Amino acid sequence: MFYWSIKTLLAEPMRLIVSALAVSVSFILVIFFSAVFEGESEKMVAYLEEMDADVWVMQKGVSNMHMASSMVWDWKVDKIAKVSGVKDVSAILYFNGPVKVGGKDWFSYVIGVSPEYQRAGPWAMAEGKSIPGPGEAVIPDVVSQLTGVKIGDEIIMVDRKLRVVGLSRDTFSMASGVVFVSREDLADLLSGSDQYSYVMVYAEQGVAAQVLVNRIEDEVDKVNALTSEEFIESDRKLAMQMGAEIILMMTFVGTLLATVIVAFTAYSLITRKKRELAIAKAIGFSNSQIYKATLSQSIIITILGILFALLISFTALASLPSIAPQINLTVNLHQFISVAIVGLPVAIIASLIATRTIVKVDPVSVFHS
Amino acid sequence: MSITPLLFATDLTKYFGKDESKVVAVDHVSLSINRGEMVLIMGPSGSGKTTLLSMLGALLSPSSGSIVVDGVDIGSVKQTALASLRATKIGFIFQAFNLLEALTVEENILFPAQLTKEGIRGAKKRIDSLLKRLGLSERRNALPGTLSGGEKQRVAIARALINQPEIILADEPTGNLDSHKGQEVMMILHDIARDDGCAVLMVTHDPRVEEIADRVLWLEDGALRDRKIETHSWVKDPVCGMRVDEWTASVTTEYNDKKFVFCSSRCLSRFETQPERYINEI
Repeated sequence: MFYWSIKTLLAEPMRLIVSALAVSVSFILVIFFSAVFEGESEKMVAYLEEMDADVWVMQKGVSNMHMASSMVWDWKVDKIAKVSGVKDVSAILYFNGPVKVGGKDWFSYVIGVSPEYQRAGPWAMAEGKSIPGPGEAVIPDVVSQLTGVKIGDEIIMVDRKLRVVGLSRDTFSMASGVVFVSREDLADLLSGSDQYSYVMVYAEQGVAAQVLVNRIEDEVDKVNALTSEEFIESDRKLAMQMGAEIILMMTFVGTLLATVIVAFTAYSLITRKKRELAIAKAIGFSNSQIYKATLSQSIIITILGILFALLISFTALASLPSIAPQINLTVNLHQFISVAIVGLPVAIIASLIATRTIVKVDPVSVFHS
Repeated sequence: MSITPLLFATDLTKYFGKDESKVVAVDHVSLSINRGEMVLIMGPSGSGKTTLLSMLGALLSPSSGSIVVDGVDIGSVKQTALASLRATKIGFIFQAFNLLEALTVEENILFPAQLTKEGIRGAKKRIDSLLKRLGLSERRNALPGTLSGGEKQRVAIARALINQPEIILADEPTGNLDSHKGQEVMMILHDIARDDGCAVLMVTHDPRVEEIADRVLWLEDGALRDRKIETHSWVKDPVCGMRVDEWTASVTTEYNDKKFVFCSSRCLSRFETQPERYINEI
């Protein structure tokens, strides 16, 4: 029966390809949403990664930058700088909220950059100056492309207008972009002229980050120090947690869609081949043998669907950001492995739906011409 | 010494529906068929022939009565054992050929072999002789869609024979064939009974087959009845004895200034090998 099931599928190659492509679309959806969330999550921690600090120091009780706020007195920054093993520090004032660009609100990480801590500014520029002065702002180049706002145009941060002086690269994600303003403007907005939000600490050569963390927490009151790895992981985890439910839901929808498509294909194949199944039953094949043949057909369609999904994802999805720069995608092997793992239950469930039809096939019907 | 019938049915009844909508399809039928015997079931449409054949082939459970196939009472075995019995003891031939469209001639013939202990590998030893016997050697890799009706039916016969069954159940095997192809198929089935010792039970409407059958059972309103034999003025095929219409027959020959008419080219070729034998038998 297995041979029959293979040859029956191959006898109609176009139908097989269309069915497999339909299955692949649902798997591509799953991969796409997973890749978007991973891509977005990566971009959300891009600032933390690009600053390349060894240790991040923030207000006690705070362990994230995403969806968080932190206040650290400016004198504590000086104190941190004097901790043994600290080579350099850099501090930013920070808040997250909407910035109106081109008439539309863009949820942003707003980084207030001080003239003395310029390394906290953008790490790659597309155009213009990188460190904004009072009344100035540097926005992501993707936002500029999407809104048409150029250097010299105005944007609105809460209650004040700022003039765009630079366009930064790799600072945009759909969930949030990074907007750089002067610390002076942000301090005025937050009434925090003697405060910073986060302090980046760079260790002297040979000093481990964890050692610095312990020293800073011992010597400076009411601060939380985290190694860069811990801080980035904490933010990435938070970002993924926020997207996890959506990813799970989309995976469920995609899997359900794949199941329906495979089930429909298996069902339509059985319906069309009902007479042949009746012949098989009349000859002496049991329901379970016929079910196994149907299962093998579902598995073949699902495997083909997964292979198509891999092919299309690697080619089309990977090139999508060049067409739509606002989309951040990270296509990983584990996404394909997840889809492949999901694929087997899909095939089994889909073929189970056809079981009832198989059982109902009457071998006596072979006598009807 | 009495001969034990290969297929033995007692008081077989099948009805469909209940109470007022109850329809009796087969009504207290008893019959037996021996090895090497060719038995026809004839009767008007709707008389219950196919229902009877389905029950004898273990495809349909009787409402009452018993069926014994090669010593096994099929009413006492489970469905899985019934499927196994069908696979090994019974070969089916259908009016609509019922070949598997995606498989070649050879694959179609070998299809039931996977249900036996010897499997396809074992059955492959017989495939060459079976293809040759049925004139299909040149068509072994052809798909059913490219075959003529006669070829399709011969493939179906080969498929029915591949597991070397003891019983062949044929439902109108010539129903979709022209008269010459039909006659050829009939002769093949006749040979299967005579040469292989199979019990061949055939449902047919074709009156010409009566001459080559050992017995004819007449089914009417679900019950076996006596039938008044009609007379025809047809000539006899000297080889198989089948009645052939002399005016429409295309397979003929002359021997010793006498014309002989045959049902098929198979009978003609047999006649040509030993004409004296067949003339003396007339």
